[in-house]
Amino acid sequence: LRRCLISVDRSLIEKSFPEIKRALQTNDTFPNVTILSTLENLKSIQPVDVCCVTSRLLTFYRDRVFKDHQETSPEVMRQISSIANSFLYMQKTLEQCQVHNQCHCSQEATNATRTIHDNYDQLEASSAALKSLGELDIFLAWIDENHQETSTA
Amino acid sequence: MKHLLMWNPVAQPRETVLYSVEYQGEYESLYMSHIWIPSSQCSPTNGLECDVTDDVTATVPYNFRVRAMLGSQTSAWSTLEHPFNRNSTVLVAPRMEVTEHGLHLVVKLEDLGPQFEFLVVYWRKEPGATEHVKVVKSGNTPVHLETMEPGAMYCVKAQAWVKAIGRHSTFSQIQCVDMQGESLPL
Repeated sequence: LRRCLISVDRSLIEKSFPEIKRALQTNDTFPNVTILSTLENLKSIQPVDVCCVTSRLLTFYRDRVFKDHQETSPEVMRQISSIANSFLYMQKTLEQCQVHNQCHCSQEATNATRTIHDNYDQLEASSAALKSLGELDIFLAWIDENHQETSTA
Repeated sequence: MKHLLMWNPVAQPRETVLYSVEYQGEYESLYMSHIWIPSSQCSPTNGLECDVTDDVTATVPYNFRVRAMLGSQTSAWSTLEHPFNRNSTVLVAPRMEVTEHGLHLVVKLEDLGPQFEFLVVYWRKEPGATEHVKVVKSGNTPVHLETMEPGAMYCVKAQAWVKAIGRHSTFSQIQCVDMQGESLPL
């Protein structure tokens, strides 16, 4: 069964995200709280669950984070738009896999993404969105690491 | 890749009319349709075109709109008739320079930016020749293709490839070189 693999445009990791992080970091009022939990939480995801977790986290960002964040700086708006539209493209790629039923969701995968939503709900929406944007590097790195032909989580 | 948005001027004799460009990616148009983002290069500009390459950063449809400004007056927005998706980009064949250094066949490709890779095809010019293929990750750096045999002629062609949009250019013109002479465009 061929795995569903997507690729992360390097410019998102090297350009878009650093500019978002620099602009938003000072406004994060809960530095000790994390939405995406620790990278360990995501590291335990099995290869067979990578597609499902990726798809659900892309949906999480699409439907909650990008919507809950109100941005006024045109430059930061552009960088967030770049990531949001790249996520949309990734999701379309994954949806083609889901048509062939290669995006199975185990209980572990469901629990992992449920934890992320629960963390998000602990904070007020705009604070949670701000923090989630600041943690995009965790998610982008996780995608980059787990969507290689040879990757084994 | 380079993407230019162009528009017709607003006729206003002896006045400088400025223009402002904004865009929406598919995300904004689907989920945040009230959001339009000022273009990174042209908000405002007095030209009649705008380089939107740095705005179109995902392979999804983008809407664009432009309006004219004269003092405190602003025109209505004019919106692109059809959204633009960069996967419709037409890539031109890359320029290349083929040389021989001693016994070595060397190619140097045009630097087209970080998103470009190149497929280089080369062969020894003889009946039934076998084509060899090499992927070159970036331009502007001489790449050794093959150690040549004295007196033989070798030919090279190349095409550009952009993974982000899944498209490649046509092949460049074939260039051949022999041990003694200059490269001979065919």
